[in-house]
Amino acid sequence: MRSHYCLPLREDQANYELRRKGNPMAVELEESMLVRVQLENFSIDEELHRVRSRSRRIGGIAMFLGTARDRSKGRDVSSMSFDHYEGMAQKKLKEIREQALRDFAIIEALVLHRYGPIEIGENIVLIIVGAEHRADAFKACQWCIDELKKITPIWKMETTPEGEVWVEEHP
Amino acid sequence: MKIKLFGMLKTMIPGGKDLEVDFSEGEQVKDLVHTIQREYPQVGELLEKKKVLVSVNQEIAHWDTVLDTADEVALLPPFAGGSGEL
Repeated sequence: MRSHYCLPLREDQANYELRRKGNPMAVELEESMLVRVQLENFSIDEELHRVRSRSRRIGGIAMFLGTARDRSKGRDVSSMSFDHYEGMAQKKLKEIREQALRDFAIIEALVLHRYGPIEIGENIVLIIVGAEHRADAFKACQWCIDELKKITPIWKMETTPEGEVWVEEHP
Repeated sequence: MKIKLFGMLKTMIPGGKDLEVDFSEGEQVKDLVHTIQREYPQVGELLEKKKVLVSVNQEIAHWDTVLDTADEVALLPPFAGGSGEL
């Protein structure tokens, strides 16, 4: 018996391919929602649904959520703000998703990063990876966040008691 | 040529806006770096130490990349998306 908690019917790969042939623009739009740099907060439930609804073959989903903490490098942090290179940041996140889909045995990956002012405790970055099995999902998820930090042009400024400080995580 | 600035570089330049530097057709990234070193020594020092990278058309450029007047050029300080700790 089907659970009442089931999400709306998820597509299998065959349906997805049919739709790709029939309406490539709709598919492009869907894919653009899987890679975003945005000002506003995101709903983890909605993004999780977005990934799991991509295929009925997904059996394991790994997620990384980065949030704003109140302490950094021994200093109190009262708030932060992210600067980004519009266009290049999106391009790099897209490359990360595409490479993850090529290099790992996964079915779908979502990569989001916020910019602008972010209060302590708020969401900053979200990676969600869906695979048939958990090991591949975990591995790809870790790779995505590590790669994001290496190649994505996003910069963090923290507000501390000493003033505003640009953070250099990878000097 | 206009050069986009991000992150801490914005706070190093009075006004925090894009850099405007003279540029001749056919120059390479290294020529641009020399001009920046001359006109904006603080930024030039970071470029010299490779703490700041140059991007051309949204890709990291090499020093021998040849520039075109239509190119989109930016100076990129070290990235800091998320956190550096594992």
